Amino acid sequence: MADDASLHGWEPTLGAELTLADVVEHAFGYRGDVTVDRMDGTRVVGYLYNRDASARKPFVQLFETKSGASLTLLYTAIANIRFTGRDAAAGQSYEAWKRSREEWAGSAKSRGG
Amino acid sequence: MSVPAAQAWTVATYVLKQRLLRRKRYPLVLMLEPLLRCNLACAGCGKIQYPAHILKRNLPVADCLAAVEECGAPIVSIPGGEPLLYPHIEELVHELVALHKYVYVCTNAILLKEKLEAGVFAPSRYLSFSVHMDGLEPEHDEAVCRDGVYEQAAEGIRYAVAQGFRVTTNTTLFDNAEPLRVREFFDAMMDLGVEGMTISPGYGYQKAPDQEHFLGRARTTKLFAGVLGAKKRRWRFNQSPLFLQFLMGKQDYECTPWGNPLYNMFGWQRPCYLLQEGYASTFRQLMDETPWEEYGRASGNVHCQDCMVHSGHEPTAVNATFGSLKGLRDTAVATLTGRL
Repeated sequence: MADDASLHGWEPTLGAELTLADVVEHAFGYRGDVTVDRMDGTRVVGYLYNRDASARKPFVQLFETKSGASLTLLYTAIANIRFTGRDAAAGQSYEAWKRSREEWAGSAKSRGG
Repeated sequence: MSVPAAQAWTVATYVLKQRLLRRKRYPLVLMLEPLLRCNLACAGCGKIQYPAHILKRNLPVADCLAAVEECGAPIVSIPGGEPLLYPHIEELVHELVALHKYVYVCTNAILLKEKLEAGVFAPSRYLSFSVHMDGLEPEHDEAVCRDGVYEQAAEGIRYAVAQGFRVTTNTTLFDNAEPLRVREFFDAMMDLGVEGMTISPGYGYQKAPDQEHFLGRARTTKLFAGVLGAKKRRWRFNQSPLFLQFLMGKQDYECTPWGNPLYNMFGWQRPCYLLQEGYASTFRQLMDETPWEEYGRASGNVHCQDCMVHSGHEPTAVNATFGSLKGLRDTAVATLTGRL
């Protein structure tokens, strides 16, 4: 399985080694939108901002991208979760930050800063 | 110490009331994030990495006020994101001041002068602007990854002070901080006329770009001992002196993760301002259903071992002040002598 920096584009295959609960945890830590495929064949795209696996009826909560509405979906209603939106935290490694800092310092120097 | 007497009295009576009511856990400061977007992208910040539709959202004022009432803390801190980008900031602050909550608007001050000139805020003993300043001009502009921000913030501070507003600064130190430069920075802030300063070590947000410069515990105490040792009398801190002694390694405190609860568009963040392990839909659920024993250094939680951040440990210091004669004595001595 890919690490957090490369989850974008991941379409998990659920099974004994990777449960829906595992995928929900990854989705909760993911800083991009996901597509939730529902058991009834419909799908919803949004930012998954909360989950409770220990609730009597485990659920996820997300803000739907288009409508902005907050939705609560039970685990039992979810077939899979795909990591379809760009990860806003990816590409922001310390190395990338240092590169941007060096560019910033260089441009500041050229401006006489 | 520079906290005004009326505010200190409000906090003291609040804490004593909680103790008389035998409440084991109670909040001191509500961290209220009405939005997550910001006009800066600082290297040490893990708060703003979200999809655009999340960054565009604003909490309704009614939700903010309901959270304030539900929480009951006497102090409301409004970070973000950048709160001066919140379209309802005028109404929110006005309502909170009317409730006699002590409000700290935690801002990078890029828009501060513009908002004050527009008459968005009126001076009040209940309202403070807590301006993000991470050092002198080169250090601050580097920390916020944009040149000119220090001077903009300094201009905002000068203007706000001249208009009669309460102004403090908030400073996060990382392991690249040089004690002598930080001491020069304290002088510069006092020269600007701020009421007081707050300082804290940074926390290693998982989503922050800069993961190398967060401080371990031993390095934290060494740095802060160098910064705060032989403290100048003119330096005023808008913080508990016991918390500053904790940063210097002179006090040993556990975390009080429920002391500064955070409410934002996702709900009540579990378990604390820094860790983002889930959200409760009500404050009562947060307090009653969070497994608090799993957090803090003594719990062995790996995420808590190096943390000495103000949001978890200043409430402990405040409780120590009112919870024992030693705490009261240490606070009184530090306040009267100006020594830490």
